[in-house]
Amino acid sequence: MQGPAIHVENLSLQLGNSPILSAMHFTVRAGSIHCFIGPNGGGKTSTLRCILGQMPHTGNIRIDWRENRTIGYVPQLIEMEKTLPLSIDNFLTIVSQNKPAFTSTRKEAKVLIDRALERVGLTDKRNFMIGSLSGGERQRLLFAQALIPSPSLIVLDEPMTSLDEGGARVFEALIKQQHDEGNTVLWINHDLDQVEKMADDITVIDKRVIATGAVQDTLSADMKRGVFSKAAGGQA
Amino acid sequence: MEAFYVWLRETISTQATAGVLPSVLYYEFVINALFCAIVIGPLLGCVGTMIVAKRMAFFSQAIGNAALTGVAIGVLIGESYTAPYVSMFSFCMLFGILLNYTKARTKMSSDALIGVFLSISLAVGASMLLFVSARVNTHILESIMFGSILTVNNLDMNVLLVVTLITLIVGLPLYNRMLLGSLNASLAQVRGINVQAVEYIFIILVTIITVACVKIIGAVLVEALLLIPAAAARNICRSLGSFVYTTMGIATISCILGILVPMQWDIPVPSGGAIVLVAAAFFILTTIIRSVVPAFREAKV
Repeated sequence: MQGPAIHVENLSLQLGNSPILSAMHFTVRAGSIHCFIGPNGGGKTSTLRCILGQMPHTGNIRIDWRENRTIGYVPQLIEMEKTLPLSIDNFLTIVSQNKPAFTSTRKEAKVLIDRALERVGLTDKRNFMIGSLSGGERQRLLFAQALIPSPSLIVLDEPMTSLDEGGARVFEALIKQQHDEGNTVLWINHDLDQVEKMADDITVIDKRVIATGAVQDTLSADMKRGVFSKAAGGQA
Repeated sequence: MEAFYVWLRETISTQATAGVLPSVLYYEFVINALFCAIVIGPLLGCVGTMIVAKRMAFFSQAIGNAALTGVAIGVLIGESYTAPYVSMFSFCMLFGILLNYTKARTKMSSDALIGVFLSISLAVGASMLLFVSARVNTHILESIMFGSILTVNNLDMNVLLVVTLITLIVGLPLYNRMLLGSLNASLAQVRGINVQAVEYIFIILVTIITVACVKIIGAVLVEALLLIPAAAARNICRSLGSFVYTTMGIATISCILGILVPMQWDIPVPSGGAIVLVAAAFFILTTIIRSVVPAFREAKV
């Protein structure tokens, strides 16, 4: 087990006069797959960003790191023009070294890139331009960059929104692999069937913590009908 | 540096007199112009790729227009109207930082915001320059918009070299971070990059590069050399390395040919215009190559 536990105590967030999150308490167990679920606009991404230290908040967030303190973050998308000449190899070089990616890839970086590409199954496409990849391949690329350097905490910000069923299965296998290695996985997810299948624990967020705990105890039929009907309705 | 310039000019002039180099290189002003071209080409080419990646196409144009106001302020406070570098750098820096500050605090798209700033800077700059130009030189507006590469002096070349050095020292080590910040700011932040700081550094670099080049090739041409070579290279490149080097090559060749060809064959086209025309020819050529050769339409390298 190398993934950290995360303790969130009395977390609140206010932007201007609008309260975004209020008095949240929950714990992410070390080495678990922990999903954030709830309606759109409920504050899942804000909670994640507070944990990542990207938003000013009140309350206490404690991450019990072990030896490896690396976070692998998988965003929803890359914002770039399709025709920008940036290959998979270039993108992974950008995140692997400080030396300008247009010059060359350092040996040490190349080893990390090779390993990450092999894990996500993109080795044979390393020279393809990112703009030419399918949605699923792009998400796998984003997962690959999260593996450089080897993380102990993987944070996924709705990375599977645009994936077809095949792409989703590949992604699930990658997440399971991380779980099997003892890493902690923090995952924003709207697909309740997938959550039920993959997650150890969940936290239901709608401006505050609605419920938190083991998935089989927390994800009741009532819960699905209640809070999640809003999510299905795409409430902003 | 003065001794180096003198040595460079004498060496090239001697070779031109002896018939080893083209006769047009006998003139000092041509040598100065070519020296600037060889520095400006790679500099603008390299920065141009980042401008294209960050979708900030019109930022340098706005800065170039702001230089008009910088020059006017310089004349008003008593700087030489031929080289008011202190006012130009100071005002354009403030302008660039203000633009970026506003961008970070508004939901407006960056293109729209840059457009607003561009118009304001042109209006203020042109008005102020017309007011002060009555005292000095009625052609200031024209020379800032279109530059005067054939009249560069040692000071202009020194400023250009210092700016190039700063860009190399500061910009190259931050290149990957700047690019990642524009691809996904959250991802960059998680990776420990101070996205805002890196963004400001980029803005400042583009600003000083633009100001250093305005006197030499003009505000309009800076914009053209930042965009056209990168757009031309993008048509035929499939990786970041080839994109950057091809862009630098096209920008440099455009500058050199734009200066030499009209002189060598007495073509009545100003150097600035010729530089853009050569770059445009590259763009047309690569567009044709892309549409005709299937390999350039495919994704694989």
